[in-house]
Amino acid sequence: MVLCCPGLCDLGAPGDLGAPGDLGAPGRLAAPGSHAAELFEQVIAAVTGFCPKVEAVEPGVCAFGARGPARYFGGETALAGQVIAAVTELGVESRVGVADGLFAALLAARGTDPARTHPARTDPARTDPARTDPARTDPARTGPGPVLVIPPGRTTEFLARQPVSVLADQDLAGLLTRLGLRTLGDLAALPAGDVVGRFGPAGEAAHRLASGLGSRPLAAAAPAEDLSVAREFDPPEPLAEPVVFAAKTLAERMHDGLAARGLICVRVQVQATRADGRESRRLWRHDGLLSAAGVAGRVRWQLDGWRVPDDGADASDGGIAVLRLVPDQVVRATGYQLALWGEAMVSERVARAAMRVQAMLGHEAVLRPVPGGGRDFGERITLVPFGEKTEPRLAADPPWPGRVMGPAPGVVYPFAREADVTDGAGAAVTVTGRCVVSAAPAWLAVDGESPRRVTGWAGPWPLSERWWDPVAARRRARFQLLTGDGWAWLAAVQDGRWLIEAGYR
Amino acid sequence: MLPVLPVLPVLRGLLPRGGLARGSVVTVAEFGVLALALLAAASAAGAWCGIAGIPEAGVLAAVGLGLDAERTLLVPDPGDAWPQVVASLIDGCELVLLRPPGRAPAQVRQRLEAALRRGRSVLLVAGDWPGAQVRLRVVTQGWTGLGDGYGRLRACCAEVVADGRGEAAMTRTRWLWLPDEDGGVTVADPADIPAADRPAADIPAADTIRRLRVVNAG
Repeated sequence: MVLCCPGLCDLGAPGDLGAPGDLGAPGRLAAPGSHAAELFEQVIAAVTGFCPKVEAVEPGVCAFGARGPARYFGGETALAGQVIAAVTELGVESRVGVADGLFAALLAARGTDPARTHPARTDPARTDPARTDPARTDPARTGPGPVLVIPPGRTTEFLARQPVSVLADQDLAGLLTRLGLRTLGDLAALPAGDVVGRFGPAGEAAHRLASGLGSRPLAAAAPAEDLSVAREFDPPEPLAEPVVFAAKTLAERMHDGLAARGLICVRVQVQATRADGRESRRLWRHDGLLSAAGVAGRVRWQLDGWRVPDDGADASDGGIAVLRLVPDQVVRATGYQLALWGEAMVSERVARAAMRVQAMLGHEAVLRPVPGGGRDFGERITLVPFGEKTEPRLAADPPWPGRVMGPAPGVVYPFAREADVTDGAGAAVTVTGRCVVSAAPAWLAVDGESPRRVTGWAGPWPLSERWWDPVAARRRARFQLLTGDGWAWLAAVQDGRWLIEAGYR
Repeated sequence: MLPVLPVLPVLRGLLPRGGLARGSVVTVAEFGVLALALLAAASAAGAWCGIAGIPEAGVLAAVGLGLDAERTLLVPDPGDAWPQVVASLIDGCELVLLRPPGRAPAQVRQRLEAALRRGRSVLLVAGDWPGAQVRLRVVTQGWTGLGDGYGRLRACCAEVVADGRGEAAMTRTRWLWLPDEDGGVTVADPADIPAADRPAADIPAADTIRRLRVVNAG
């Protein structure tokens, strides 16, 4: 049984940092919403009242085994109704899906059954009290409202109707669609061996999901040895930030330990103990490798949620004393994190080096350049901190009139340098609003350096950007200057001042 | 693993083994297009490149030369802990371009050189590095395409000199378009280089450009 709180998913997921192998569901935002985290914590506490072992699948979504409690509460639908009612009391909208297996239950909870035609059911998230009434939730699959129960044995049939786009791996889903495999049923109908041969581990996982099995074969037994890693904070750490940071290194250590045994972990338990002895345990799972950054994000979420004083305790609890990561489900490593076609993936070795530098200098200190669009050489490269999703700020597609043509400069100053440009008589060169230059530039003095003789120049090339926005509007007249030492410069006059944007050398 | 990291074909003649020998230090006197060009072929061949201490590195020009931005890490400001930062980058990247914030003490240099030999990476230093196996510098450069109030920068003809220690001791000189009109690197003829103090008025497209001059003068 899966409980999905759409409001909490949208408010903020804990940092799906887009790290290697972190195949998060689409539409998750990286902004950690501490309010959402707190609410989710309360939701989990409420659900624990029905079933003790609750697994947080992802922010806003939790799963629990329904068979036992359903018998006690008089059927799955009745149980679902009571869970939703309990969660609604917290002011959180939710939906419940019941099926054989986590993946199908998740789809059912998200209400993505394409066979439904009744318009009232297209938005099952709206939970007015009448709809949470168990009497109105039909035990059959066709039941309206926030509960969708797939009867035992019919999960495969339910999955077969789902479009392949429900798979978390959108690249694979797109490819399958282009190959004419539009539903999970189409995919499941293919022999498993052929799918693995063509699509590798990603295809194997997708095929298993489509067939109603877990995304990967689970380890038959719990790991015999203790693979958990722990860090003690002495004195206890009152702030969340250092704990999250420690979690990143801790997760790396855990992965190293697992990798040495040829294992990876698909579910990890995060245990945080406060100085006063109170403890928070939460299970986090991911269909893929939970990267170190991914684990750190989940730790942040768990700590954010934990700050709620549920028993009226005062804030002076002393902070976190121990943080422990326990690999809860480990499977054989099959090279999941490797890309199938061409795209550059961050290897473990590079990721570890980059994270070590981040640990020394901070998250923003290691950047990856992403080429995009724009009119300045600087803005055509977006710098993204390592571990975050790489997307250019400005799309490359639209035409960018006003771009400087010719070869790109080797030196692009992150902040334009001030300069003085004077004519042969020593007077500052000015440009009028109609782009008339007062005199030919003869000398260039960059930011306190000794003046260089200008041996060639061209311009002005006017550029007026965002004139409709008084704050961001910018009018510039650009020049290229050549100086006697063989260097060339990209300069601009803005608000009567000369600025050096780039150097060609 | 190949004993050298590849470089662009026109740069092979400048390096003793036709590439960047793994475990070695190569210097470029000053940061510029030449340093970026040395990264290009190795990056295109699949190596990860780190660029440390150069916030003004023109990534776009480097991409034009062949650098794969997806396999590039930038650490614009490594600060005082730069030796540790570079040591970490050497662990992850096969090629690291560094401009040291200050003069590196001998002890620091030796530690990094030992890490290089262990990791089979190459350290490309923009600046001075005593003991570097190969030293490259641009001795002359001249841009074409820009006149006195007209035209635009098109290409740069540069004379590059390489020397160094051991097998690199012999001085090698090459004339290169760095970059050429398409943003790449090609072989140049010394006769092509415009005199530094003479505007390049005799470029082929001068006629069309002169018309622009009239507009500007108004």
